[in-house]
Amino acid sequence: MTKHEERVRAFDPFASRRRWVPPLIGIGLLVTAWAALSFGAVSVPLGEVGGVLARKVGLDAFAEPSDRAEAVVWGIRMPRLLLAFAVGAALALVGGVLQGLFRNDLADPQLLGIGPGAAIGAALGSAAGGVQGAIAGGVTAGVITAFAVRRLARPASIDPTRIILSGVALGLALSAWVGFVVFAADRATVPPIEFWLLGSLTGSTWRALGTVVVFLIVTAVAMLAAAHLLDVIGLGEADARHLGIDVDLVRTVLLIAAGAAVGATVGAVGVIAFVGLLVPFVIRRWTGPIHRYLLPAALAAGALFVAAADLVARLALEPTEIPVGLVTAAVGGPLFLWLLTKRRDA
Amino acid sequence: MPDPAILASSLSYRIDDTTLVSGVDFDAKPGELIAVIGPNGAGKSTMLNLFAASLRPSNGQVLLNGVDAAELMGGDLALVRSMLTQQTPLDIPYTTNQVVSMGRFPYRRDPANTSQRDSAAVTAALEHTDTTRFAARSYNTLSAGERTLVSLARVLAQDTPIVLLDEPTTALDVAHQERIMRQAVRLARQQKTVIVVLHDLNAAATHADQIALMHKGAIVARGSARDVLQEQVLTTVYGQPMVVVDHPFRDCPLVLTADAPTTTPDSDG
Repeated sequence: MTKHEERVRAFDPFASRRRWVPPLIGIGLLVTAWAALSFGAVSVPLGEVGGVLARKVGLDAFAEPSDRAEAVVWGIRMPRLLLAFAVGAALALVGGVLQGLFRNDLADPQLLGIGPGAAIGAALGSAAGGVQGAIAGGVTAGVITAFAVRRLARPASIDPTRIILSGVALGLALSAWVGFVVFAADRATVPPIEFWLLGSLTGSTWRALGTVVVFLIVTAVAMLAAAHLLDVIGLGEADARHLGIDVDLVRTVLLIAAGAAVGATVGAVGVIAFVGLLVPFVIRRWTGPIHRYLLPAALAAGALFVAAADLVARLALEPTEIPVGLVTAAVGGPLFLWLLTKRRDA
Repeated sequence: MPDPAILASSLSYRIDDTTLVSGVDFDAKPGELIAVIGPNGAGKSTMLNLFAASLRPSNGQVLLNGVDAAELMGGDLALVRSMLTQQTPLDIPYTTNQVVSMGRFPYRRDPANTSQRDSAAVTAALEHTDTTRFAARSYNTLSAGERTLVSLARVLAQDTPIVLLDEPTTALDVAHQERIMRQAVRLARQQKTVIVVLHDLNAAATHADQIALMHKGAIVARGSARDVLQEQVLTTVYGQPMVVVDHPFRDCPLVLTADAPTTTPDSDG
């Protein structure tokens, strides 16, 4: 370790805690993946899951899988698990980025209205072109709503809680419009309103996964590259400008990325709320506020959280599935309330 | 005679119908510590923000080291001038060390810069401001005086030839005020150009090489402390009777308030 690194560690209270984050999330992801692939209406033992995965990479290992096991594990559960990972990663990353951008730990892409706005576009797109149309519509409407949120936030910036309240009001109004679109559309082609507003990973396909992952990679690269800029913006906009940051440009680029990432997830699985609020909040206690550490950890933890929530959504009332957004809201809602009351004098 | 580091000509700034800075000509050379004084609302902070190119002038221009400030991109600007603004608590619980390290942000694209150099600059900045002992503490848990010292350390770490300090001593006790002014003097002795907006006329008289007195958006006097701090002028500008005496120990004037006769206070504050 160089002298410089030693010094950085000595002055960073989170330096030793941070080391626990990658192994803990890694173990969590593995356990969740195993449970998600094994459990359900048809139980597939771990050895057979291993056999399916081995066969897909051209190996003959573990237990010889039955055709039925292969169809369930690879055809249904695997794309669903990976889509849960992708959606969770995107939502938590966007939550961390928006919280940095607004310097407000209450910011959540769905609570700010970006998700409901994207859902209007996604429902329209779904009527026109199935899941790919929904993702395209979601991305477009997500970016537009992100900029509407920015306009709302400007006069309210003196009082951070007001930004959130404006966002919540905007989200409610936009949710109503999702309803208008859904009820006006053909019931056979457009998913029902509870899909859009509460989210569901039922019926995840490899194709939908592929499209979401493309959007996620492009937007995540932009957002992770801005980590250092978000740290400096945390000092306040005037000081960030004095340190050479074009705050307006950074905000514009990040809002486009955030709107597109959230829109893609909404097009594929609907609005899953509170992930972007809850995950960065928990992770920040382990990584500290520096975005270089916070954002990648939030991304991984978001993947874990949504996959775990989907497992609960699938298994809690088996054989009935509940919308995954209900599970995330059941955990995230109380935290949001607690944060709101804690902030009153902040 | 060195070229001016800051050269402003017929600089004006208006918002709607209000003129905050009008027709200011100003120059400052490397090695000079210039205090800007004047009543509230005289345009001191606005002028400093125009020098920093954080505001665009309505008229006139500012040259920083001979380059039009309006032409400089933010990243280049941040290598030329640093600015200490009035301190507010942060929204994010950064530690002192993290805040000061952000002063090195402008150097991230400088190929000659290394993490060792960043580290050395941050260490030196913490030591000069006597804030090393708070390095691992959250900025928001510090007192107002300590916070200003930490922000000054961030400015020191930025290590620019032009340093602009906006009311760095307001709301601080005398010991913190002196500590900050001594750093301003030290920077000027390193051939940096230091402009500091002050409300404390005696801090200006004691430490600054020159004083610029602002009134209603214009610089009405500029020169040494003895030239600028005149009873008549100060009484008119501040709308408050003032007396100027000699400091008993230091070679500089000392400004004191006097009893008010029947004058009304200046209305532009």
